[in-house]
Amino acid sequence: MTARPDPFIHPITRLSICGLLAAGADWVEFAALRDAAGISDSVLSKQSVALEDAGYVEVRKGAVGRRPRTWFRLTAQGRQALEDHLAWLAQLEEAVSAGSPDVTQVTANPVNRRTRPRTVPSPD
Amino acid sequence: MRDAAGDPAALELLRMQRSRLADRMRPPWWYLTGSAIAWAVLFAGPFILQYLLHGVPRWPSLIGTAAALCLLRLLPWGLARATGLAVRLRNFRYRGRLALIAMIVVWFAASSTETFLIRHGLLVAAIVVAALAVAAQMALLQARLRGIRQELRAGGEAA
Repeated sequence: MTARPDPFIHPITRLSICGLLAAGADWVEFAALRDAAGISDSVLSKQSVALEDAGYVEVRKGAVGRRPRTWFRLTAQGRQALEDHLAWLAQLEEAVSAGSPDVTQVTANPVNRRTRPRTVPSPD
Repeated sequence: MRDAAGDPAALELLRMQRSRLADRMRPPWWYLTGSAIAWAVLFAGPFILQYLLHGVPRWPSLIGTAAALCLLRLLPWGLARATGLAVRLRNFRYRGRLALIAMIVVWFAASSTETFLIRHGLLVAAIVVAALAVAAQMALLQARLRGIRQELRAGGEAA
């Protein structure tokens, strides 16, 4: 196993957000991301703030008339973390489908769901 | 919060979500209509220069061309706001880019052919070329959008 999991984007909601932002579009609007991920406004707001604080996602806010519009983009750091994590997940999937004993090794290295990101932004 | 490692279908779920995102990249009617009008104006340029503005300054034709080019520039901006997906060409290295290159080639080739045919008095042939060129541009535009949708489904560079 060479690919490493990223504990910060390990939860499925964050993985979905990052995966969708990495799909090819440069910027994705709030409603498009919410609908594609199948999550609520509040969940997306909360997770996007966490991802932005971690430096994985860039947020741009604007408005069309009186309607606020929020756009998201994956940063280079977020893209790298996602690529590593997807590679790890793909290896895990292969190991599971092959019934490899390596699976126990992978899953025995659990990812702490509450773990802070690799680069924690300064409180200042 | 659900854990991806505990869910063997995490990657499958991501594929499904990307497919849902790609489905949003369907152009509204005004995008296709606006594109067709803009290309029709651009391909009408040689006719306007030869027949309508004979002996008249060329600036009205240039204004028409500039307006059509502005429209072609504004339409993707409107599409991004309508679909919620802002796509830049640099992200798409396959069909989307090829279709755009083909559109530029068709533009120059058709305009040159039209001018050549008009100068040789073959007006009907020039009109047919212009009509075919507009149809080709619309087909290529659709191909470009299809390429973008395929890239979104495939997950881009992160796939």
